[in-house]
Amino acid sequence: MDKIITLWEGSGLYNLQLGQAAMIVVGLVLLYLAIYKKFEPLLLVPIGFGGILANIPEAGLAISALDQAIEVGKPAVLQQIAAAFGIALDPLASAESWRVALKSVADGNASADALRAAKDVVVNVGYSDGMLYNFYKVAIGTGVAPLIIFMGVGAMTDFGPLLANPRTLFLGAAAQFGIFATLFGAVALSSMGVMDFSLNQAAAIGIIGGADGPTSIYVSSVLAPELLGAIAVAAYAYMALVPLIQPPIMRLLTSKKEREITMTQLRPVSKLEKIIFPLMLLILVALFLPDAAPLLGMFCFGNLMRECGVVERLSDTSQNALINIVTIILGLSVGSKLMAESFLSVETLGILGLGIVAFGIGTAAGVLMAKLMNLVSKMPINPLIGAAGVSAVPMAARVANKVGLEANPHNFLLMHAMGPNVAGVIGSAVAAGVMIKYLG
Amino acid sequence: MQNTELLNEGLALMALGMGFVFTFLTVLVISVTLMSGAVRRFQPAPVPSAPVRRGPTGTSPKDDEVQAVISAAVHRYRRQKGRDS
Repeated sequence: MDKIITLWEGSGLYNLQLGQAAMIVVGLVLLYLAIYKKFEPLLLVPIGFGGILANIPEAGLAISALDQAIEVGKPAVLQQIAAAFGIALDPLASAESWRVALKSVADGNASADALRAAKDVVVNVGYSDGMLYNFYKVAIGTGVAPLIIFMGVGAMTDFGPLLANPRTLFLGAAAQFGIFATLFGAVALSSMGVMDFSLNQAAAIGIIGGADGPTSIYVSSVLAPELLGAIAVAAYAYMALVPLIQPPIMRLLTSKKEREITMTQLRPVSKLEKIIFPLMLLILVALFLPDAAPLLGMFCFGNLMRECGVVERLSDTSQNALINIVTIILGLSVGSKLMAESFLSVETLGILGLGIVAFGIGTAAGVLMAKLMNLVSKMPINPLIGAAGVSAVPMAARVANKVGLEANPHNFLLMHAMGPNVAGVIGSAVAAGVMIKYLG
Repeated sequence: MQNTELLNEGLALMALGMGFVFTFLTVLVISVTLMSGAVRRFQPAPVPSAPVRRGPTGTSPKDDEVQAVISAAVHRYRRQKGRDS
């Protein structure tokens, strides 16, 4: 009978907490959105699955060896950990209260030496870091995964339309207003006492408006790792929702006549220009904003590999095999941050709400900037392409093209919209650099 | 009081960030324009000539001859095929 009770007490069903059950449901919802609604499936499938794995009770896939031991270890192990921390456990209290006490020490004021000693203790008795915890530490903790993805994005990006019409860079700049307006919104919410965001957290939330997955993950891993799960989920979910979020805003801000504007055909761009551009961008970053160098440096490197034409194999690997491998690991690592205690909170709702506002403001700012440019320049600009200034390559450009075709079936804006689209990638990376410089 | 401080800091970051993004991209626009100008001046675009050559109006006499032979063959083939069926 004792054996059966032990088995029962070791089962997932016995140990399942309400929060974990809720998070498993959240993981399943993400999988549903990815599989049936085709919401960024490449990322949401690994994220959703990782979220489920991270919430399996007792398995501790997403936590460190020490946390795992504190959560499920036998009383003898707890005593050893307490000795390593140099605290005394109340012998009369239950093991549960010991766990709570040890947890608060481990999360709070334990010195680095004490933590290391405690870690040695638990490793000696056979606990090890969870698989997802290791993935997270390697892929996101070091910042490597988002940067490799950025390299792949660089290798996939064609700067031709941007080089043919460099003024579209302004549209990419204007759309970054969404980032900063949301930052301000988050700060305002916490100063009114509705939510509690620090400036760092507000900045990480704002970057959702950059509509750029790897940039969002990179910035939040530097500025606010505790919000990473919610921010990544919001960023990718809204990127998938671009075709729903943007068109109403675009229609609201433009007249039918403006949407019908046809643009002059882009001039052809020579290979030499395409080779010089990433190098020039890199030099400008080096001169003005070294903090954006990790992101834009990898981006330029990927693009140079694509355009120089002599490292076909490297370019092919970075835009196919490598980016796929890293996407799997990145997705699972983000999923590991979908743990109940950090995800199920009012802040997550705030992040989801602010994220969509960021998108909307970014789109509106891009469109308005295009209208402004139309007033001052001779060359006509269709304001719809301003909406493509939020990155979300190439979804936002396709949306601009589609709305343009609705107004005038012979007006193909896709290539024109690719200019502000890739400008948006550069713009959000620059914005990320500014935030890291200011707050990091 | 700390609230207004946070608010001010947010506002400062917004102004600074937006200003910097615009400055940086303006510099980029200027440098791209200059670079494109220089490249096109010293290496007059080879790209536009490519599609012209690929166009249907082949100009060399040899191309004309080949085209005539091919179209005659196609014509005859079609006529033959038409009679058969």
